[in-house]
Order: sequence, then structure tokens, then C-alpha cells
Amino acid sequence: MNPQELFPLHILQRAGRRLLALTGLLAVLALVFGPPASAAVQAPHSATGKTYVIGTDTTFAPFEFRQGGELVGIDMDLLRAIAEKQGFKVEIQSLGFDAALQALQSDQVDGVIAGMSITDERRQVFDFSEPYFDSGVQMAVAETNTDISSYEDLKGKTVAVKRGSEGEAFAKSIAGKYGFTVKPLDQSATMYDDVKAGNSVAVFDDYPVLAYGIAQNNGLKAVTEKERGSSYGFAVNKGNNPELVQAFNTGLAELKASGEYQQILDKYLAAPESAGKSTFWELLTQSLPALLKGLVLTLFATGLSIVIALILGVGFGFLKVSRRVWLRGIATAYVAIFRGTPLLVQAFFFYFGLPQLTGRPMDVLTAGVLTLSLNAGAYMTEIVRGGVQSVDPGQMEASRSLGLGYFKSMQKVVIPQAVKIMTPSFINQFVITLKDSSLLAVIGFAELTYQGQQIYASNFRTGETLLIVAALYFVVITVLIKLSNILDKRFNK
Amino acid sequence: MSKIHVAGLTKSFGSNEVLKGLDVDVAEGEVVCVIGPSGSGKSTFLRCLNKLEDITGGKVVVDGFDLTDPKVDLDKVRQHIGMVFQHFNLFPHMSVLENIMLAPVELKKLSRPQARNKALELLERVGLASKADARPAQLSGGQKQRVAIARALAMSPDIMLFDEATSALDPEMVGEVLQVIRDLAAEGMTMVVVTHEMGFAREVSDRVIFMADGLIVEEGSPESVFGAPRQPRTRDFLAKVL
Repeated sequence: MNPQELFPLHILQRAGRRLLALTGLLAVLALVFGPPASAAVQAPHSATGKTYVIGTDTTFAPFEFRQGGELVGIDMDLLRAIAEKQGFKVEIQSLGFDAALQALQSDQVDGVIAGMSITDERRQVFDFSEPYFDSGVQMAVAETNTDISSYEDLKGKTVAVKRGSEGEAFAKSIAGKYGFTVKPLDQSATMYDDVKAGNSVAVFDDYPVLAYGIAQNNGLKAVTEKERGSSYGFAVNKGNNPELVQAFNTGLAELKASGEYQQILDKYLAAPESAGKSTFWELLTQSLPALLKGLVLTLFATGLSIVIALILGVGFGFLKVSRRVWLRGIATAYVAIFRGTPLLVQAFFFYFGLPQLTGRPMDVLTAGVLTLSLNAGAYMTEIVRGGVQSVDPGQMEASRSLGLGYFKSMQKVVIPQAVKIMTPSFINQFVITLKDSSLLAVIGFAELTYQGQQIYASNFRTGETLLIVAALYFVVITVLIKLSNILDKRFNK
Repeated sequence: MSKIHVAGLTKSFGSNEVLKGLDVDVAEGEVVCVIGPSGSGKSTFLRCLNKLEDITGGKVVVDGFDLTDPKVDLDKVRQHIGMVFQHFNLFPHMSVLENIMLAPVELKKLSRPQARNKALELLERVGLASKADARPAQLSGGQKQRVAIARALAMSPDIMLFDEATSALDPEMVGEVLQVIRDLAAEGMTMVVVTHEMGFAREVSDRVIFMADGLIVEEGSPESVFGAPRQPRTRDFLAKVL
């Protein structure tokens, strides 16, 4: 089993409303190499007729979330309405909050709208639009809880907050006064589950998020008025796309004047359509289309990666058994690098780090397949090396003694035997790579796990959704293993 | 001119010198048996004759080709030298017939039908015509070694090297393999045979070489080496094995 399977991906999933520095390495690299040349200030010109790539969070209901596979929410509706008014086109990339900010910094996207608070810290790296939404923090407790209705009731208790969020800042500011403990968690869904499980008694979260969750039967109820909070803004990379900010501001003003702005807000906040608690069967039928779409992408990325990995593995594997020291050195270095670093770091590096170094954006599928295939390739290299070396050296000697050359001997005598030995390991690596592909959810690659996260982040039915996701993986992997074994038996008698 | 000419041959594995300067000439049609205690360097010496081992020092000339010359095409030279190994080293993923046909077909010495006929002929000769389509795993040790000999003969070599060809066999199978080697000797094949079968060495060889500690201690006709060994080491060794 690969060591990187042990990395909990949710830790690096959207960690709330803050800028998460990826790794020290990437930060240093970014400093050393600086922003790409295109970051130079350009003369403002019209946004009309252009297409902009806009990054957003995966799910931050009610600002962005999926409904029947479509991205909807306050952010999405506002952005689309403004784009239509101002005559530009948008291509939305649902990346996750941290990933979207990273993508913006590396010019992978032109702008970000993701329920992002305007802070001084962020102003240093981004240019913001006029605020389009005023948020605030509110406290909620479990539906069944009748003991807690004010901050005073929290004495000696624990409350859940989203790490790095305004809710956390607010809770900490009053924690001393009211005598409660603050427990930071990473996602809204996790916080709500924590409260329902009784680990925390209350949660402090952004009021629109809380309101929407409650309307979705997340099992909580709000018990206090909202506190005054920060404002959300649309952001571009500092100095880039000033015309886009201009267009956003103009469009926003028009929407406010026409009343459309209020309509959009009301649609999600004033009277959120109350969803009756659906059965598991309904959850299954509703989520299956999106999950199957994710599964197809999982299989596609895995299939492509495993083919590339096989080619890499055979190439480097033979370098590894080469008699030349420097050829062996190349292969050893490759294996050491990709086996010696976590897959997650590799994925971040290819998607965010490399574009910052080269100034050339890389789409998420390319980055994902590159990560998986280079990683699996390193393991394949070792499988090939092991396979070739486990063939009795006497076989090579017998072949050479007949006058067959090294490559002919490899091809006719060693490789056919090595393949037979390697096949079970190949199948194993295939399964590992398929499971590893779930880690690509962190760079916003819309595979099966990502689709699952999207679903439970908006319906708050974490356990059931993950069960369906796990079942899909299980079925597919079991079928693939059965299939591989049949092929193995047929060809490796 | 001798078929095999070895002069001052040395071979080291790291700092361990296993051959300490050998001089041997083998004439065409001559059968030379190499005997000696294990670890004496017999097999290493044999493996230097087709350069399965890199040669540390000295000269090995086979069929007029100097094996220490990097310009010599080893694959070409090896086509004229058949080798039989202690552990047979048959290719387990091929049938008996395919094992024998591999080299002639791949090296384009014979067409497939020609190679097939030749292989069947060789199998006939080693008494295994009925096993043509069997897999090596289905054969007994003695049968495997006879197939290995047929495989080595498929390229029509003019020299055959036997590296303890009967050491891994059950006693009752030694005879059938020795018989095949005996027949080859009778046909006038040039052979170097590393063996522990003293009776066979005495019977079949034109010359016997006794090696110990990487050196040739004594050599001569089988009658002289076995009948009247001059060196104490030889006498000591023969006293133990005979």
C-alpha cells in the first residue's frame, strides 16, 4: 500500500475563509521566481466580449453549491447576471476556496468569487471589487437542545468554529468573557456533525451559511441574532484585469438599482426553499448522476495515468537494471523523488507550483494525470526492476551463450518471464492508483470523491453520501480485480 | 593452430583472485576434462571461454577470435560455442521445440521449417523426439539436460562447454546424459568438460586438467593423471573422490 493513501485529504480541503499557504517550498519558489511577466499593469480596456475564467469554492452554500449538477448560489447568480449585463462571458471553475486563491495568484484563473471576506491581508495580493454582501456571525445549537439560548449558557462548554473564519475570531474574542472553549474544524458539514454528535454544544458560523444549512435540515437551529461582520468581495490578481473589476462594480450597481440584487439574495436567504428530509433512496437517485460523472472521470484519469505509468515504469525499470552507473542513477533519482514525496504535495506542485515557475497555466486534468502517472510510474519502475531481477540470471546466461544479444535475450527470454511475475503487482498498482486519484479532489479535479464532497457539503448528509461513494469505489475495484485476474490466468498460464 | 588458446588468464571478483594465471591449449577434436575440488575455479575458467565472465587479465583466443579484444563481436563468437549448464537453464515459457529453435530462428541461421526439422533431428539424437511439445517443467532432470544439450547443438557449434552437466541430477539419470556427451566425443566435437564424474573423465577425455586454488596443478593423459598422479594435491584429491 502506498504511504500517501494515509493522508487525510479533508485537512487540506477548503479550510474556510483564509489564505492557506500551501507549502513552504512553493512559497519560497514563488518569491524567488516572482509573478509571471503578464502581471505587469495593463491599460484598462473594456471587458465586453471577453471570456474570463473565474475560480470559486467547491461548495459554500448558499453562495456556491451544486443543484442537479449545476453550480448555483448567490455568488453564481450575481456573477452571471453581471456578466450578462456587461457583455462578457465567464467560465466557472469550482476549485475549492484555497485552491481558487492559489489559482488566482498563479494566474490560472482571472478572478475569484467565493464568499471571500475583504481583509487588509488579502488586499496586499488581490484587487477587490466593491463589497457585494455583508456577512455576520451567528450561533446555532442542535435542534433538540433547549439548554443553550445565549452566550451566557456556554460556560464550561465547547463550541465548534471553522478554522480561520470570522466565526472563529468572534468566538475567541468572547470565549474568555463567557468561559467556553473554542474547537476549530475545517468544514461547515464537519462542524454541524460535531454539534449533532454532542462533541460541541454550539457552532459559530456565517449567518447566510447557517441559515441555508438549517433550511436543508442540517439538524441545527439558530439561537442568537447575527453579529456585525465583514464584507464579501470579488477579487482579481493584483494589477491584473482592472477592466473586469470595473465591469463587476458597474454591473453590481445596476443590479442594486434595478432590485435584481435583492431578488437574488431573497431567493437564497429570505425564504430558502425548505427541503423535506428525503429518504436514502432519494438521496441515492439524486446524487447518482453526479457521482457517476465523477466515476467516469476517475476511471479515465486512472486509465490514462496507468498507461503512461507503465511506459515510464518499463523505461526507467530497464534503466535501473542497466549495467551503466549513470543510467541507473537517472532511474534511481526519479524513483527517489516520486516515492519520497507525498502524492498530495506532488499534485499541488504540478497544479500550482509549476505554473508559477513557468508562467504557463496547466489545466486540472493535465496536472492530475501528470501527478498520478509520474507517481505510479515510480512504483512501476520498482515493479519492473523487481520482476526483471527475479528472473534467474541463468536464463540470461543461457540465452547469451547461444549468441543472442542483450536486447534480444531480454525480449525473448527475460521479459516474458518477468511479465508473468509482475502481473499481480501491476494489478495492485492499478488499484492503488485508482484510489489515489481521490486525492486529486484537493486541486478541484471533479472525480468521484470530489463529487461526493460537493453533495454532502450542500445536503449535510455526510455519512450516507460517503457510504455511496465508498460503495462505488468498492464495486468498481472489485470488478476490475476480477477482470484482471481472468486476463492474468488467460495470458500467463 | 589450436581451437582454444588461453594464456596467462586471471580473473578476480573484487579483491578475490579466483584464477591466477592459466595457460591452456585445446586442439580441434580434443576432449579436455577439468577436475578439481569445489572452489578451485573450474567453472569460472570455463565461463571465461565464452566470456560469460569478464576477463581480468591474460588472453583467451577461440576460433582465432581474441575475446579480450573489445572490437570482437561476442555474439558471433558465441554462436560457435555451445554451453551446457549445471542447472539446465531451459526457458520455462517455451516448449522443448521452441527452446531449441530459438537461437537458429532469431539469429536467422535457419528458416522456421528448417530450424524445426533440425530441432526434431537433435531431439531424436538425444532420445527425446516424443517430448517436442512438452514444457520443460514436465521433464525429468536428465531429460531437461538432454534438451539443453540439443539446444546448445542447434547452432551447429564446433566447440562444446559442459559446466558440471550432471551435478544437479539424480544418480539414475547421470548415465543418460553422459551417454549423449560420450556420443558427441565420438563424433569428434571439441569439448571442455568440467565434471565430478571421475570414471567418465577417465574414459572419455583425451586430456585431464586438475585445478586447485585457481591454478592448474597437473595435466596430462587420463592414464597419467588418474593412474600415476605426480603432484601431492592431485593424489590427495583423487584419494578422496575415487
